[in-house]
Amino acid sequence: MTISVWRYSHLALAVSSFLLLTLASVTGIILAFEPVSQKLQPYRADNVGQLTLAQTLPVLKKGYEELTELSVDANQFVQLRGTDANGKNLTAYVDPRTGSILGTPTPQSEFFQWVTALHRSLFLHEAGRFFVGLTAFLLLLITVSGTMLIIQRQRGVKRFFTRIVRDNFAQYYHVVLGRLSLIPIIVIALSGTYLSLARFNLVGEATIVSPTIDLDALQSKPERKPADFAVFQNTRLVDVQSIEFPFSDDVEDYYTLKLKDRELTINQLTGEILSEKPYPTAVLLTSLSLDLHTGRGSLIWALILAVASGNILFFIYSGFAITWKRLANRAKNKYTATESRFIILVGSENGSTFRFAQLVHQHLLKQGKKAYLTDLNNYGVFPEAEHLLVLTATYGLGEAPTNARRFAALVEKYPQPQSVRYSVVGFGSHAYPDFCQFAFDVNQLLAKQAWAAPLVDIHTVNDRSPEEFSLWADAWSQQANLPIPISADLLQAPKRRFDKLTVTGNTRTALPDGTFLIRMRGSRRRNVASGDWLAIYPANDHRERLYSIGVLENELQLSVRLHPGGLGSGFLHELTPGEAIRARIVSNASFHFPKKAPVVIMIANGTGIAPFLGMISQNRQQTPCHLYCGFRQRTSLAMYGDFLEESRAAKKLTNLHIAYSREGDKQYVSDLLIRDADFITNVLMMNGVVMICGSLAMQKDVLDILDSLCQNKLGNAVSYYQAHGQLLMDCY
Amino acid sequence: MSRLPKIGLLLLALIYVGTSASIAQQPGTSQYKCMIQMTNYMGEKAYVVVSLINSKGAYEKTLYVLGSDKKWYPDVKEWHKALGRKKPNISAITGASVAGGDRSVTVLEIDNAKINKEYKLRFESAVEDKPYYVKDLEIPLTTEALSAKNEGTGYIRYVRFSPTTSN
Repeated sequence: MTISVWRYSHLALAVSSFLLLTLASVTGIILAFEPVSQKLQPYRADNVGQLTLAQTLPVLKKGYEELTELSVDANQFVQLRGTDANGKNLTAYVDPRTGSILGTPTPQSEFFQWVTALHRSLFLHEAGRFFVGLTAFLLLLITVSGTMLIIQRQRGVKRFFTRIVRDNFAQYYHVVLGRLSLIPIIVIALSGTYLSLARFNLVGEATIVSPTIDLDALQSKPERKPADFAVFQNTRLVDVQSIEFPFSDDVEDYYTLKLKDRELTINQLTGEILSEKPYPTAVLLTSLSLDLHTGRGSLIWALILAVASGNILFFIYSGFAITWKRLANRAKNKYTATESRFIILVGSENGSTFRFAQLVHQHLLKQGKKAYLTDLNNYGVFPEAEHLLVLTATYGLGEAPTNARRFAALVEKYPQPQSVRYSVVGFGSHAYPDFCQFAFDVNQLLAKQAWAAPLVDIHTVNDRSPEEFSLWADAWSQQANLPIPISADLLQAPKRRFDKLTVTGNTRTALPDGTFLIRMRGSRRRNVASGDWLAIYPANDHRERLYSIGVLENELQLSVRLHPGGLGSGFLHELTPGEAIRARIVSNASFHFPKKAPVVIMIANGTGIAPFLGMISQNRQQTPCHLYCGFRQRTSLAMYGDFLEESRAAKKLTNLHIAYSREGDKQYVSDLLIRDADFITNVLMMNGVVMICGSLAMQKDVLDILDSLCQNKLGNAVSYYQAHGQLLMDCY
Repeated sequence: MSRLPKIGLLLLALIYVGTSASIAQQPGTSQYKCMIQMTNYMGEKAYVVVSLINSKGAYEKTLYVLGSDKKWYPDVKEWHKALGRKKPNISAITGASVAGGDRSVTVLEIDNAKINKEYKLRFESAVEDKPYYVKDLEIPLTTEALSAKNEGTGYIRYVRFSPTTSN
């Protein structure tokens, strides 16, 4: 439930504040350029850091008829007010070392005045200030709820900055930029809220009350020169906010020295400190908030604030894009739950699973079937139901999505009166360790119900793959004897830029397990690294097949197993040198050879060795590499044997461990890992990297072993090393 | 009187004005340093306008304006009304608005001929969303008043003058 609480509050807060937030962000971006433009003015004197008042005041007094006030602003421009030789009012920026005039202060430009007033009060005076302050506070709450959502999405505080699974543009960048600009936005919201509270006197004593001086007790002896005043000798100019000079020569007029943290009054004749009053905390906080909120005094911070404000605008756009999408995915039912024969239940956190469910729903309706689509949480008794279709995602650590949390309890509570055939499809991503966990749970739960009989086995869909989904759809259609031609809808060939590749070699195959190597060369130079994928289109249509690339001698090498009737493998097998094909190189940066790793362990089975061959061949810096690979029989290794031996001699490969599953000891690669458990834990401990490429079945075994090793010997879950880029995987 | 001496006099006067421009003090005026000390009120910075008021109680001249944003000038109601459509250029006699507890020191230029002649100095003050004071402080323009400390009734605690030492 907590997820939805945070999500609803995030949305509700955003909806209630987005208009004012847009206004405040746009004006905020503009205002960020005010400190920038000020900073660029040449009024800043250099090397004033150590200058004391005792040094600078006599110089300044000499140059002017009379001084009334000196102030040092956030840019460290020293401004003087007084009268010139003609007794005229004078306001100027001066060099505190020489007293020479550097320029005349110009009042804030009318444009910035206008924007500032809009930003602060919307031209509505007190009421406007209240609403702007409220907006700042809402922004703070939005940031907090957003942070909670990211933590939940990333499964834990520690994984806060790990990779984000990309669903779509708006969602991906909403989260990515949200993490990046989190700190500046919290600062903006917090300081803005504080400034508003201070404005309405809600933070205690926020104004400085001038001290009362006992005028009768003032001494006029011993008289000293200002340069000899101890307080002036001990005060640096950079610590000063302003100095008010005595109005007349009378002893009853005194210096008022406003420092960054306190206010002093000083007898103008003796230099005695008459009063010293530290500012209340509220005043100091207000000043700090102003620094942080406006970026005055720091060019870089001002620019960061501008970018963060720009991000807020993007969040408003992308946030509503996400919401719109989610709302559009809401089910609209033509038939009621009690009259429908087909019940489609959906578990979805962000709505993407709904799109698949709706496709099925529409196809069933189109064929005149009574179908009903709803959340898993709305499960109940369906008196006419014949088929139950469950399409569900998984959220968190293998948990149910928010709209499916109550499903398990409801199933126990409401058994169906008649027999129902069910089918479960799990949606998920292999980027997460608990792939489709909740779907498996649901399948398990339904299997135990007396009224439920499976129609087809559970299917999983990785990263919303249309191919995998249509696999299920085809299977279900055949069993239910009801065509749902999903493929045509989903599998439109995307428009993409292709590369032309020329085949340079093909080993073909005579081997029982049918593995062969094929080499190609691109027509133009392209950035391709071992571990990237090559997408080929064997039938020149929507159907795409991905192969891991090994880059050897500037050529792309694929290692392929020929499947009987296999679309991709059959196509590649028939290619002859000189032939050109259309393909696409897909970057897979998360499976590139680590640039800085003390040791790399490579684990592969079968054709999963392909990227590793390329990586070893390019290992010129001789990073220690230990290759563990599993094959069916000795002959499978033959085609790699020479290359691996040469690499070992060239110190590009340190060690080679091979398991044969159908010969000799009949080992799997996972058995080798158990044997070398200590070595592997050592490598992980010393920040080495483990890379896995091959079948999902192998991946599962290896992950199980690694997880127990990590838990028992290192005290971390395997996901910890995944999060730290020490465990890289590319399995299929 | 023939015209010639008149023209001669005018020329003389023009030359005098022209040369005195370099010392920048108009003939027959005096400069007074004026300190406005504010009370410790809560709220935004105050806009204060110092005006010369003639014996009929009408605005004769604006001597100084504390506050540079024209947007807030209508808040200083009476002065703004008297200014009417003809907006004189007051940029030379404009300074920053002044906050509660602060002071502002400025130099006022006053025509000697108007001193001790039933003229008045009016200090008018306005703070956003707070009461407006037409006569926060109004003093007769006399030598006596120009050397005393004068208590204000609104945001101004007191005003002090001192003749400038130059000239």
